[in-house]
Amino acid sequence: MTKVKICGLQEEVHVRAASAADAAGFVFAPSRRRVTVEQAAHLADELPGSVEKIGVFVNAELDEVLAAVREVPLTMVQLHGDETDEFIRSIPVKVIQAFSVRDIEDVKKLEKSIADYVLVDAPGIDFRGGSGRTFDWSLLEKSSIDPARLIVAGGLDSANVGQAIGSLAPYMVDVSSGVETKGKKDADKIKSFIKTVKGDSMQQATGTENVTGFFGRFGGQFVPETLMKAVKELEAAYAEAKEDADFQADYHKYLKEYVGREQPLTYAARLTEAWGGPKVYLKREDLNHTGAHKINNAIGQALLAIRMGKRKIVAETGAGQHGVATATICALLDLECVIFMGEEDIRRQQLNVFRMKLLGAKVESVTKGSATLKDAVNEALRYWVTNVEDTHYLIGSALGPHPFPTMVRDFQSVIGRETREQILDKEGRLPDVILACVGGGSNAIGMFHPFVGDESVRLIGVEAAGEGVDTARHAATLTKGTEGVLHGAYMKLLQDENGQVQEAHSISAGLDYPGVGPEHVHLEDIGRVEYKAVTDEEALASVIKLSRLEGIIPALESAHAVAEAEKAAAAMGPEEILIICVSGRGDKDMATYAEKLEGLA
Amino acid sequence: MKRLKDLKDNGDKAFVAYIMAGDGGLDKLRGQVEYLQTTGVTAIEIGIPFSDPVADGPVIEEAGNRALAEGVTLDKVLLEMESWDFNLKIPLIVMTYLNPVIRYGAERFAESCKEAGVSAVIIPDLPFEHQQLVEPYLKKTGITLIQLVTLTTTENRLEDILAAAEGFVYAVTVTGITGVRDEMTQEVQEFMKTVRSKSPVPVYAGFGISKTEHIEMLRDDVDGFIVGSAIVKAFHDNKIEDIEPLIHAVTQRNPV
Repeated sequence: MTKVKICGLQEEVHVRAASAADAAGFVFAPSRRRVTVEQAAHLADELPGSVEKIGVFVNAELDEVLAAVREVPLTMVQLHGDETDEFIRSIPVKVIQAFSVRDIEDVKKLEKSIADYVLVDAPGIDFRGGSGRTFDWSLLEKSSIDPARLIVAGGLDSANVGQAIGSLAPYMVDVSSGVETKGKKDADKIKSFIKTVKGDSMQQATGTENVTGFFGRFGGQFVPETLMKAVKELEAAYAEAKEDADFQADYHKYLKEYVGREQPLTYAARLTEAWGGPKVYLKREDLNHTGAHKINNAIGQALLAIRMGKRKIVAETGAGQHGVATATICALLDLECVIFMGEEDIRRQQLNVFRMKLLGAKVESVTKGSATLKDAVNEALRYWVTNVEDTHYLIGSALGPHPFPTMVRDFQSVIGRETREQILDKEGRLPDVILACVGGGSNAIGMFHPFVGDESVRLIGVEAAGEGVDTARHAATLTKGTEGVLHGAYMKLLQDENGQVQEAHSISAGLDYPGVGPEHVHLEDIGRVEYKAVTDEEALASVIKLSRLEGIIPALESAHAVAEAEKAAAAMGPEEILIICVSGRGDKDMATYAEKLEGLA
Repeated sequence: MKRLKDLKDNGDKAFVAYIMAGDGGLDKLRGQVEYLQTTGVTAIEIGIPFSDPVADGPVIEEAGNRALAEGVTLDKVLLEMESWDFNLKIPLIVMTYLNPVIRYGAERFAESCKEAGVSAVIIPDLPFEHQQLVEPYLKKTGITLIQLVTLTTTENRLEDILAAAEGFVYAVTVTGITGVRDEMTQEVQEFMKTVRSKSPVPVYAGFGISKTEHIEMLRDDVDGFIVGSAIVKAFHDNKIEDIEPLIHAVTQRNPV
């Protein structure tokens, strides 16, 4: 959720009104809103610890800044002058560097900033601290700046802030004159502004900073008491790691140097021509090391496990892609690795079983129940309950008790963030439709999350209809499921009228799961994402199509998204843009393809 | 559930027997309850089968699968219990995973439990934080929701959970799932002492209790024992009389 900063506070009554915000700004530069260090220290006392205290300076001496940091104390420093990189490096707290944006040259300048965050404002008139005028937001839409570093200021008020968030999805919005009446702060306007940003329904869809770990009604921590300590510890460790720049840098280093990111957003010319509708782009998660998106999450969680002092990893796997990703990262980081896999899946995905063993993982066959992913999760949970003190459970999808659904989503969001930048770069605008397949839903949530705030972008999740949603053999949980609790979360399930969880069916082992991540259920519930189901047969037809038209053999899972994309494209025009997340490549499915597609080759 | 407190006040130890409802057919349940009553157990825990029993080991999971194959459901078990007309002197406790309760409806579940003569309910995958989903309805019908504490329960949590405890506290003796164990560690003994010193209600040890040695080791530090897998297995093997020495080791004051 976008954070709120109320800037230029001078009086206690306004500071108290701002206590529901995420940050409060104190101006130490020449301005009618200027305060002394003593005044700021007094005002900061009124604020809860969770609110950032930010000092605003224009070309101040370093000693003056350091003294304010120490004495208020400030948790962040915001610089509006001509401060050098060396100056920024000398500041012991996080730094926001402010830029006046008039044209594209200004945007290029801010892209080079070494500060933790960049604040964008319209050019000032009388002083350099900010002008209260809006700037041309479209200048930033084409910028390569990570929205997670972006703070938007400049003439925001309750009326236009929604638009700013919608078009830029910034980390924070900064308001000052927009919450004033006749040049003085107005407590009612401050409260109303915070409510507008935080209470906006589109933003609620992205909001997961909920301490109890619910997405709307869905999610939670429904685990046996023995696991509560581990789940709480993980929650705390992740919250800390998420904010730790070193952890994030480490994670991104592995994504770049080991996984091979960023992955291209490939224009699919022949598919575009064949479908005769929108321009079609493919997000190429199939090019990741180990062949699918799963490794994005495996790396993040493995680094977190090490940070928590746990060097043993247990994981479940369906298609084997998550198992391979986990075994790979465990080999790389010298971690002990046990993978539970259903007997039926072991049969379907022998090549991946061999890969895991080759990588040094212990693969445990699960013969219970349907002997597929659900039963592998049960066994992995039992193993975790028994070995919880030294073992991390590396869940492979956006499932399980909080914080797993949020954490997996965050680690997979690199997919959507890259896609957003790439499409803005190539087309200068956001796409009209994005599709991704949904089993537990990790590639889909990673792709969708950075676009959830963009109302103009239609998001479609594609489930497995197996032999048809009206048969007993499908895995279309959102289409046909009902609410219930499984594997730690309140979500949607395929279950009978007595609450017994049913077996799912899909030709694709990765979609063969009778639940779906709680955030997806919430996004469906509020109507933000549409969920469709595609049959085994339709998916196989799309495997052939994508292979022959684009030279890309997709995983069976990803082929479901391709099949639904074809249907969506039929109703779209040539001026529109459609993106498909190709979550993985088809190597692992070659045996199935050989069996099912014989005669076509 | 008052009798559990009386038992503790008299210095006697409780024995709670767990059975899987419908293992071998739902028509067996009545006879199993009647038999256990004659052996002198303090209370009986009736397990509801579930497709994904992640807190349970293989013995109970397999018993649950057999019951599911017999078509046993939460609804059928409660109706069966409601039909009993024999003289039942001991409390009955229902143990079920959360999902069947949600599907059945928490309010309706509480009402049906009352009609079935249930005194308390245990839901192993409903942690303290989320008990609002079910507890208010149980309270309205006068049924106790039993709290579980484990070796990994942190100190602050332990205090919160114990403050809400009624009936008895289910103290889990192992970091793991249900099932027969050979060893009980010193750590378990210390844990039981801590829980008992803080608990306002009797403390019963469960998970892995299967031998008279376990009982001897923990006897002085708990108010009772819950035995599951060993009983489920004995019923399944038609050797339930073999379990009597274990029951007597708990319930008889000076076991020989």
